[in-house]
Amino acid sequence: MRQNNVSAIIDLNEPSDALLPLTQFRPVGTLPFAGRYRLIDFPLSAISNAGIRDVGMFMPRSARSVQDHVRSGDAWNLDSIRGGIFTFPYVANKDYSDPANRRRYYDDYLTFLRKSDSSYTIVIGARNVDNINVQEVQQFHVEGNNPITVLYKRQLPDKVNANEEALNISDAGDVTTIMKASEITPDPVNHMVPMHMGVYFLRTSLLIDLLQNASQREEFIRLPEILHEALEVYNANGYEYTGFYANINTIKRYFDANMAMLDEANYQALLFSQREIFTKNLNEIPTFFSKGSDVNTSLLGTGCRIEGQANHSVIFRRVIIDRSAKVENSIIMQGSKIGPGSKLNYVILDKGVVIGPHLTIEGTPEKPIIFEKNMSVLRASDIKKGVQH
Amino acid sequence: MSTEMLAMILAGGQGSRLGKLTKSTAKPAVPFGGRYRIIDFALSNCFNSGVNTVGVVTQYQPLELNAHIQNGASWGLDEKNAGVTVLQPFASREGEKWFQGTAHAIYQNIDYIDLYQPKYILILSGDHIYKMDYEAMFNYHKAKKAALTVGVLPVSMEEATRFGIMNTDETERIIEFEEKPKKPKSNLASMGIYIFNWPTLKKYLVDSYSTDGKMEDFGKDVIPAYLSHNEPTYAYAFHGYWKDVGTIQSLWQANMEFLEPNNELNIGDREWRIYSKNDALPPMYVTKSAKVNNSMVVDGCYVAGDIEHTILSQNVKVGSGTVIKDSMVMPNAVIGKDVTIDHAIIGERAIIGDGASVIGTEDDIAVVGFQEVLGKEVEDE
Repeated sequence: MRQNNVSAIIDLNEPSDALLPLTQFRPVGTLPFAGRYRLIDFPLSAISNAGIRDVGMFMPRSARSVQDHVRSGDAWNLDSIRGGIFTFPYVANKDYSDPANRRRYYDDYLTFLRKSDSSYTIVIGARNVDNINVQEVQQFHVEGNNPITVLYKRQLPDKVNANEEALNISDAGDVTTIMKASEITPDPVNHMVPMHMGVYFLRTSLLIDLLQNASQREEFIRLPEILHEALEVYNANGYEYTGFYANINTIKRYFDANMAMLDEANYQALLFSQREIFTKNLNEIPTFFSKGSDVNTSLLGTGCRIEGQANHSVIFRRVIIDRSAKVENSIIMQGSKIGPGSKLNYVILDKGVVIGPHLTIEGTPEKPIIFEKNMSVLRASDIKKGVQH
Repeated sequence: MSTEMLAMILAGGQGSRLGKLTKSTAKPAVPFGGRYRIIDFALSNCFNSGVNTVGVVTQYQPLELNAHIQNGASWGLDEKNAGVTVLQPFASREGEKWFQGTAHAIYQNIDYIDLYQPKYILILSGDHIYKMDYEAMFNYHKAKKAALTVGVLPVSMEEATRFGIMNTDETERIIEFEEKPKKPKSNLASMGIYIFNWPTLKKYLVDSYSTDGKMEDFGKDVIPAYLSHNEPTYAYAFHGYWKDVGTIQSLWQANMEFLEPNNELNIGDREWRIYSKNDALPPMYVTKSAKVNNSMVVDGCYVAGDIEHTILSQNVKVGSGTVIKDSMVMPNAVIGKDVTIDHAIIGERAIIGDGASVIGTEDDIAVVGFQEVLGKEVEDE
């Protein structure tokens, strides 16, 4: 069976200021997640599991972490002789009053779409934690009345921020507009609001038309805005996604989504479903739990050495928790070291952070303390280097 | 080094002394240390030593080995005009080419070797756990102007009675080879690692098979022939961790040694990494009821029980109330609740039902075979 029926556009240019300092040198899409993944693994796996082999990746300003993680795309079976991953460099900081720069922006998308020779295109970001069945979305789209399909997840209003985008769905079931969550009346029965996931599915020919029309306009308009406008012009089919979902747009969300993976039901549902989540494979040694270590309710990557305690925490590869150190309710990224006797609670350590001996660092569930990549926290006076939003 | 030297890994052994563990797989494909298969050590040593052309000679139950090696990319052995080739017996006009012994296996693959026209050939065994720089041995071979260099391991005199022993002169030239001598004269045990000048070895093999066909085995036939013809044959001493894991007991022992934080093998040394082909699995999950001590656990594992001095391989599930001690659990095994496992090796994809016991002793390790099912069904947690 030919596999070029659907192509995918992953746009890694997503707002990330609310995730600083974790997004200082990486886009949201390469934030480490659940002890082993990067957020971009979720869209790439959904695409791969649907048999899609044409992927256009529109790179963010800091593209190094994306290149390093995705490489040839072989981890997602995207390095076949047909199709594959096409990357497009960052152009967003250009001066778009210059028509030549505007043309370049649309040309990148148009070139990719025309070459893919696909019937349909899925446009997706890299900030969502979810496990989408793209084939089911395609089926839903084909059966729908509208030329565009948009994905949503029902959530309780107190779980979302007032100005996050939600969908206004008509009585007939068509999505008519995108509004702020606070402006949508919750469903009278389940009290939930259909939250916009930022994922679109449409005919490739329509997307090409939309991009061409946009390129004729005087003002510059980006792809997400083009799709937003088109949705309101044409109306859209609303596809309800019902699995685990987190939109990583704040530190709190990032922290909570990682902690949610410590709930066994979420861990099993998201990571052990029929649709596997793939990621770059690394040759790492087994994790060693020494005599007297005490680990409970935690996720761990390989290559760690655990001598102390870890409780309700997400621990990435090659982390060292020294003897009598204690880590609770924390996210410890790759290669960080926690010195003997130190106690961490509600802390996020980015990659390669060194915590010295006998320090106590305590954040809160609302405001975990974040230490930037490769930071050394060797004495009590260094603790103030941590960032708390 | 390009194809100046080509490596041949002999991976056809049945490993019958591993009993149920090798019923449906070749010994080199047997899992080791949580994330590895035994052959990973030879393949990684090749890559780390700059040997980029490797033939893997298979015969017995090669399916899993093939699936594991694929195109060799996992070990960096997928270069153009080099890389790894899995060699299997085949039929030709001269008849079927089943391998009668180690040297015969090389003879049957002369066509493959000659594709690369190497000057030297490195013969390796696919069933040893060790880290070795073959380039250092190769430099030694060239410096000695040897026709054959045998990798040897200095062992204690008591152990020497169990090995093939090389007796050398003061220049390290081998003057005599004794298989399992009752009264050893030296302690240099053959590791089954050889570097030959290829044209010379080829001549010995071709001459033999065009006449009496006696060159079946390197130890029994080829080395004695080299010595009797006065070919310059030297012993290269290797110092470091080396373990033949040919028996249940030694496989268990090597896994337990692997658990020691200061194990001489030093698996964590990033300058000499051991590579493997593994699925990208979710991180390990250690539940609230779990207790893990003095153990190694890898990705894909779900641990709700009590794990003590044990290795859990990829994707192993351990239910609550279960106690596992002094054991090695191979990939994809599912162990139910309230199970007791002590001094055991649990085979790949084995299923141990709730409440079952697998108890061995230090001198008699209990084994559950590949895909073996023990006890009643496992309930989903």
